[in-house]
Amino acid sequence: MSLELLLIVAFGGALLSYLFGKICPQIRDPFAVISSVALAVMMAFLYGKTMESPFYFGFLGLPLILRTNMLAWFFAMAISILGALSVIFSWDYVKDRERTDFYYLMLLLANASMLGIVFAGDFVSFFVFWEIMSWSTFLLISYNRGRALGAGMKYIIMSIVGSVSMLIGMLSLYAIYGTLHIATLSKLVPSASSGYLLFLFILFGIAFAIKNALMPLHTWLPDAYAESPTSFNGVLSGMLTRMGMYGFLLIIYVIVGAARALNLGPGIFKFNYILAWLGAITIVVSTFIALLQNDAKQLLGWSAIGQGGYMILGIAFGTSLGLAGGIFHTLNHAVYIVLLFMSVGAVQYRTGGQRDLDSLGGLIKRMPVSFIGALLGISGLIGIPLTNGFVSKWLIYKTLILEGHPFLAFAALIGTWGCILYCYKFVHHIFLGQLPEKYKMVARAPFSMQLPMIILSLVILLFGILPGIPLKVINTIGTSFGFQSLNVTTWGIASETGTLNTINIFAAVVAACVIVWLIFKAGPKAVPVAQEDTYAAGAAIPKDRYHYTVDFYNPLYRMISPYFKDFIGGFCIKLAGWTQNVCHGIRQMYTGYIGHYVMYIVLFLALLIFVQLKWSLW
Amino acid sequence: MGISNAFDFLQNHVYYIGSFGLIFIGLFIMLVKHNLIKVIIGLSILETGVNLFLVSVGYISKGTAPIFSKSAMEAAPMVDPVPQALVLTAIVIGVAVLALALSLAIRLYHHYGVLDLRRIKELRW
Amino acid sequence: MVNPVLLIAVPLGLAFALPLFGLISKRIVKYIPVVAFIFNFALALRLIPDVLKQAIVVEIGGFPPPFGINLVAGPVGVLFSALIALAGLLVAVYALAYITEGPKEKYHMLYLLLLAGATGVVLTGDIFNLFVFFEILCISSYALVAYIGDRAGIESAIKYLIQGAVGSSFLLIGIGLLYGLFGTLNMADLAQQIESASSISVFVPMVLIITGLGVEAAIFPLNAWLPDAHSSAPSSISAILSGIAIEVGLYAVVRVLFTIFGATNMFMFFAFLGVLTLLIGEMCAFAQNNIKRMLAYSSIGQMGLIVFAMAIATSYALTGGLFQLVSHTLGKGLLFLTAGYMIYRSGSMEISAFEGMGKRMPLTSLAFTIGAFSLVGLPPFVGFPSKFLIVRAALAKEEILFTVLIGLVLLGTVIEGAYFFRVVQVLYFKKANGNSERKDAPVAGLIPMVVFVAFILVMGIYPQLVIEVLNSAASELLHRMEYIRSVLG
Repeated sequence: MSLELLLIVAFGGALLSYLFGKICPQIRDPFAVISSVALAVMMAFLYGKTMESPFYFGFLGLPLILRTNMLAWFFAMAISILGALSVIFSWDYVKDRERTDFYYLMLLLANASMLGIVFAGDFVSFFVFWEIMSWSTFLLISYNRGRALGAGMKYIIMSIVGSVSMLIGMLSLYAIYGTLHIATLSKLVPSASSGYLLFLFILFGIAFAIKNALMPLHTWLPDAYAESPTSFNGVLSGMLTRMGMYGFLLIIYVIVGAARALNLGPGIFKFNYILAWLGAITIVVSTFIALLQNDAKQLLGWSAIGQGGYMILGIAFGTSLGLAGGIFHTLNHAVYIVLLFMSVGAVQYRTGGQRDLDSLGGLIKRMPVSFIGALLGISGLIGIPLTNGFVSKWLIYKTLILEGHPFLAFAALIGTWGCILYCYKFVHHIFLGQLPEKYKMVARAPFSMQLPMIILSLVILLFGILPGIPLKVINTIGTSFGFQSLNVTTWGIASETGTLNTINIFAAVVAACVIVWLIFKAGPKAVPVAQEDTYAAGAAIPKDRYHYTVDFYNPLYRMISPYFKDFIGGFCIKLAGWTQNVCHGIRQMYTGYIGHYVMYIVLFLALLIFVQLKWSLW
Repeated sequence: MGISNAFDFLQNHVYYIGSFGLIFIGLFIMLVKHNLIKVIIGLSILETGVNLFLVSVGYISKGTAPIFSKSAMEAAPMVDPVPQALVLTAIVIGVAVLALALSLAIRLYHHYGVLDLRRIKELRW
Repeated sequence: MVNPVLLIAVPLGLAFALPLFGLISKRIVKYIPVVAFIFNFALALRLIPDVLKQAIVVEIGGFPPPFGINLVAGPVGVLFSALIALAGLLVAVYALAYITEGPKEKYHMLYLLLLAGATGVVLTGDIFNLFVFFEILCISSYALVAYIGDRAGIESAIKYLIQGAVGSSFLLIGIGLLYGLFGTLNMADLAQQIESASSISVFVPMVLIITGLGVEAAIFPLNAWLPDAHSSAPSSISAILSGIAIEVGLYAVVRVLFTIFGATNMFMFFAFLGVLTLLIGEMCAFAQNNIKRMLAYSSIGQMGLIVFAMAIATSYALTGGLFQLVSHTLGKGLLFLTAGYMIYRSGSMEISAFEGMGKRMPLTSLAFTIGAFSLVGLPPFVGFPSKFLIVRAALAKEEILFTVLIGLVLLGTVIEGAYFFRVVQVLYFKKANGNSERKDAPVAGLIPMVVFVAFILVMGIYPQLVIEVLNSAASELLHRMEYIRSVLG
């Protein structure tokens, strides 16, 4: 199976969905689902293959190349599966919206362009697909209108800044080496001078850090996550944001190579240390900002920024353990954040778009599948053993400790601690607690939403109990970067400093569950009481007048809220304002009075003569 | 000695001095006058200066018309004909521009009721 | 072999014959420009293979150069004439339905004259002839800007006229000085003789000519007329002014700098000037709420980018600059045409009046979006390969200074992206207030938009299509000795 065919299916599926939507809307949704599922199936057949072939020669004499290897396949598989699940989820979610054809076109286009990015074998096609991804995402983020417009603008401006910086980096490679073929560059670039490598890292780093929302370049993300259609959040948060991770892996480990990339730079200001510290700052700051959010999607958005920091921490030190942790965390995070967004989406769908945490509550009985999804999702996010997040976080902590970075490890731990708090807040405010009157009659999520949630919940458990399945693939990626192979078994990792064995944990947990069940069985039967009774100790409270989830963690809020604000986001808004003012100032030059205009002409003439007399240019 | 040198210079370059004088006068009018008609007059003076300059480029003192009326005529004392051809063209163009400018000025007066350029500033920024 | 002089003669002749056709039938008048530019476009395409091998030098009146006036149909000239003919054809088709009021006959006549002048400028090999064609172009565009005859149109036309006339006067002084120094007007002959002249005496005519041509080329700070004129003219004329007129001005600047003066030492100065023009244009565009003024300022920015590319003066850079020129003509032409009908339907030039246009005029909005994406330089549209070449050329210099400058250029791109994406959001993601009847542009308006979009896409995906012509055009500009040899023999 050729890669061209895959991309044709991906892009063709997007365009055909749009056309079908225009011709006969009934078959559009099934077609979109079928094409994206087919894509995932085809992708599975690509496992373990390595190939490379140019597919287009028409671009300025540069061959555009597609290639696949384990790294590309790993990302492509995740993209196509999560994409297919998002398409399935969208079925009911966008059914009643207007412009659904447009929605499907952009959703599938974003997916297809991500596949293009990971399969790109040269930087031109990488950049082309990267840009298609940027503008299609922009159009989808703006889809909800209203506040979404501002979010879309933030996204696209930062995105262009990133692309521009990548363009400079990539074309400087082209200017120096005369090729943009990644495999050739990976042979040539490692011998470049340190200064040039640093220059490359900074330029590409800006592009990928923006996409990966690494602080201080994260400002687009919270709004973009919050305002885009929730059914698209699956794609946006799962893999699209993590294209930045793919980019980091590509530039650090594929092109420059670990041997040169690590310890590059003067003294303690080494490139990878700075990257790691940025990751750590990202974790701590964004975790606490997430804690302060009262909007479910904003909360998840800030949490996603923080989790991106873990991935960066994992890959920054260039050990096989850390790399495995970072890549595995990318996958795990994609799985559970998509699940969490789907759960929020299901709630939104049934409650008329409500995502304010203070207005929800008690939906556990009304929407059990969504609750289970959310519960497993936050378990993964926190890193509770037997869920996937545990394994990757374990690998990252292990790396940090082994490499001798206690402060970074401490930052990561603080992140997890804060993560527990906001995760609990998240699941409590939506599903536990008091059920507001108006949501008494809320129905379960439709099947098209339950199905992806069930699948993802199972994946979380599967990867948690048998982490060896993905880790074997990741290990192959690591060895292809030139690292030594890890001792991976299906249920864990063995290393000289400690072994992770999930089967043991699984056995222990099962045993504990049995014991607890037995104890409860032996004890007296529980008596259900009304919720108001436990809360008000039997005193009569008017219904719907009090909502005891408001001001959750109040003392903590008061303590941290002055320090953990999005200062950089505020600065960006200010910067935009200043730019506007400067622009208004500059255009005052065109006064509308002809005398001035004639004067400009004469002054220009004078300037030319002055330049000549002063510097004798000619 | 100095005076006669200066006089020679003046005599040889009087057309250049005159033409650049006209050019500067024209530009000066365009820079400082607010009335559209005056600005157009300035433009016209500027163009006249340019035309005069073009003619003087090809001018030879006491030269003859560049017509080979006899078979054995010297070309050296003849005035260069090319600048004259250029000037004719330039004059025609100048007239066209001037006519257009004046007709636009009339239309502008219909719209604004003034010709003061300081007040005709609706298009700016 | 066909004679390139027809490229100028046909539109010029038809322009003067047009009133006569008007006597026969008032209805056929508007089709004459279409016919003229179909002919021109076909002729220019026909000439391309020939001129790629060898530039065609036409001696008018049978005098060999440097005497008499000659036309030089090299790759640059034919490239530009093809571009002019293409844009002229599409805009003429657009005007069939768009120009419904006013003295239509005169509109079409002036339109033909404008483009005949533009074609003359790019083909001529004689600097005074260049001036004459330049004046034909300018005078007809002054008149066309005033075509609507409202307050804004007249005001901007008179301002344009005064600045243009001052510029032409400077140009003429410069030409006179050159003639006084060298006794020739032939560009190739001038180029040959300038080698031996002292630099200070050549410098004065050069700055005068640059300033004079720079007014039309919209180089900062000579571009104050542009936003007024482009925003007040009928949209079809705005498209031509932005897509052709200023490009031709820039061509003249480049031709003078590269071929006649070979002023390589000035290029650094022009690189700065280009970046300054770009940034100021983009920043002013960013602050606009009027769509046509925004597009006009964006043209200034694009001109700055092209000046910057030309000033790098390597063959990549010139190819990139010429490509950017082509892509700007296509993109900005499309944007003005689409904006024309959106303004017509909404009755306002304010961007906020376009809310919900995505629903009201879906095809027009889509075309606008594609044009905007192309100008920002997003793949797979034509703006991407052209920007790609320019950035690459700047980086291939391997100088810190050029890297910094290209950074500034790309900062301009970020600003450009910001204001174009804002408009796209308004088109698609704002609810229409009030009238939401679905009515697209008429067919005669849609056809040129579709053709522009097709060109933008095809050239964006397959830039090889034009790259050969661009390459040889770049080498014609870069190698002045070959130009001199091909003209003087």
